[in-house]
Amino acid sequence: MKDQIRIFSIETISSWFLGIIWISPLLYAFWAAFHPQEYSTNFDLTAPIVLDNFIEAWSYAPFSRYFLNTFLIVTFILLVQFVICTLAAYAFARFEFFGNKILFYLILIQLMVVPEVLIVENYKIMSQLNLVDSIIGVGLPYVASAFGIFLLRQTFKSVPKELEEAARVEGCKIFSILMRVYVPLAKPTYLAYGLVSVSYHWNNFLWPLVITNSVETRPLTVGLAIFGAPESGVNWSIISAGTLLSVSPLLLGFILFQRQFIQSFMYAGIK
Amino acid sequence: MEHLVPNNLNRRSVMNVNKIYKNTLVLISIFLGYFSYAFGIELNMYYPVAVGGPLTKIVDGMVAEFEKQNPDVKVNAIYAGNYNDARIKALAALKSGKPAQLSVMFSIDIYELIEQDAIVPFDDLVNTYEEKAWLYSFYPTLMENGVTDGKVWGIPFQRSTIVMYYNKDIFRKSGLNPDQPPQNWNELVDYGKQIVSKNSNTWGVMIPSTGYPYWMFGALTMQNNQVLMNGDGNETYFNHPSVVEALQFWKDLGSKHNVMPSGTIEWGTLRKNFLEGKTAIMWHSTGNLTTVKKNAKFDFGVAMLPESKRRGTPTGGGNFYIFKQSSDEEKKASMRLIKFMTSPEQAAHWSMATGYMGVSPSSYQTEALRNYVKDFPPAVVARDQLNYATAELSTFQTGRVRKLLDDAIQSALTGNESPKQALEKAQKSAERLLRRYQ
Repeated sequence: MKDQIRIFSIETISSWFLGIIWISPLLYAFWAAFHPQEYSTNFDLTAPIVLDNFIEAWSYAPFSRYFLNTFLIVTFILLVQFVICTLAAYAFARFEFFGNKILFYLILIQLMVVPEVLIVENYKIMSQLNLVDSIIGVGLPYVASAFGIFLLRQTFKSVPKELEEAARVEGCKIFSILMRVYVPLAKPTYLAYGLVSVSYHWNNFLWPLVITNSVETRPLTVGLAIFGAPESGVNWSIISAGTLLSVSPLLLGFILFQRQFIQSFMYAGIK
Repeated sequence: MEHLVPNNLNRRSVMNVNKIYKNTLVLISIFLGYFSYAFGIELNMYYPVAVGGPLTKIVDGMVAEFEKQNPDVKVNAIYAGNYNDARIKALAALKSGKPAQLSVMFSIDIYELIEQDAIVPFDDLVNTYEEKAWLYSFYPTLMENGVTDGKVWGIPFQRSTIVMYYNKDIFRKSGLNPDQPPQNWNELVDYGKQIVSKNSNTWGVMIPSTGYPYWMFGALTMQNNQVLMNGDGNETYFNHPSVVEALQFWKDLGSKHNVMPSGTIEWGTLRKNFLEGKTAIMWHSTGNLTTVKKNAKFDFGVAMLPESKRRGTPTGGGNFYIFKQSSDEEKKASMRLIKFMTSPEQAAHWSMATGYMGVSPSSYQTEALRNYVKDFPPAVVARDQLNYATAELSTFQTGRVRKLLDDAIQSALTGNESPKQALEKAQKSAERLLRRYQ
């Protein structure tokens, strides 16, 4: 009895409903990408399955290079973010220094600024540093992430002081306390933040488009935009194939590590 | 960096024996630096892609051909997203002090670029008689969006008009003459009714109303003998009776005559609908021509848009602009590049590859395009229609003014407001925006 009620509860129905809405564009992309173009809006189950769309999409732009670039950009940003956010969060969480409150609030305010507003300013700085059209130039404006600092600070604050004291008794100095006590305990937060960061920068479009000029630096999203074609309307089969190509690594990662993903988000949320 | 080298050299020469050798090396490197500065010019050109197909490859091919003919100029052709992205990218680069030298951008961006003091008029760059003649070698209607204040700011490159694509097979099935597309608004309605009554799953006509509603609307108002704005870009005529009448007709196609789906029609999927025979007629950009030709499984025709009081369509697409922040040599090299890209042969090549128009009468005189047109007559419809064309909606504050008109059109089509109400409101807001430019 109890089970039956559960199946038809409002929560279950609405989460199925939301889930289906959420996944339908992806399902459509699969349908359109694997079938000939005349079937892209005809749902005929006997339609032949072909790979032509992928081949054509692949030939539109140097996607293998774009994959490499996206990978480099995302890795670069993530690694530097980890270092900077860890150090900043440690300072804000455990040290009293002049102006620490004000500084922290300033960083929080940064969360409310839409990055697109800063495109011109960021471009100016990058061009002064001679980093226009470079992978580092794409990543640099994002490495000091307010969200990352905030998230890690909250996690570090929740670590019991006793652990730190015990480490100190054992002879640990400031830096090794960070590395041996705080960082290992914050692993789920790192994972959760890493996922947010990777998916954001994998999908980022406007800034990379503005700051890059050449095939050697441009990420996948910029290549994908070639299919946009606002003046003539879109070829759905090809754009779907291109989209699947670019999201496939993230998608695969999500399917393989789904459980860890969800757990890490919950863990980070509770804290 | 160079000025550091002599210092370095002096210090070393005190303690080192290789003075002469190093001196020579520095001299050579300075000479080489000068050499490459004086005889090699590097140009950055941004361009947007607005129609389907691997356009970046076509542009790269044209640029490679230019470099072959002009070995002293190196061109980096940089794909910059759609028209909007291209403008953002160009303006960001401009403010950083390291702009590109030239760019293809939306023809209607002209007022914003002038207001930002980003571009130079071509009149200031042409000297010889021959160059001045070149400025006037393009179709005059294509120049309308590039000229203001008596000066030429934009040179037409990827330009289009709206044409009427129609499905001849459906015309035959409905008892209509496949070689006689509707010539005026009444025929459009009558033919539409006949098509709808003879076919269960086919609409008579579709005019897209998302994406670029103001563009389609520019065609309807021109056919009703009224333009939407003045040439200085500081007045709009949205509430003119002929404009209101045009919007009423657009709405009636769907809600009164039932030859078009009521409500809005999606820009992005319209071609698909036409190719699948869900509509017998579509109004769309000539930029679609090559794709429709490739994918249509039926006999199709292309015709000029029908008339009410006269024929009419706005032009559309992108122009070449030269940025102010570039040296005189770079401007000269940019001129050479633009001249090459718009030369009759290249314009013909571009037109055949994309469906965009040849920008000058002489491009249609080239052998390649003459032969192409002979085999495929629809390719000249856009050109012939230029005789009736007008500029695309472009004013100061273009983005916001355009949005006002777009919203008015959509709210009338979906029945939220009457066409008159909606357009009056848009006109009032537009006047407020444009007051300080008058």
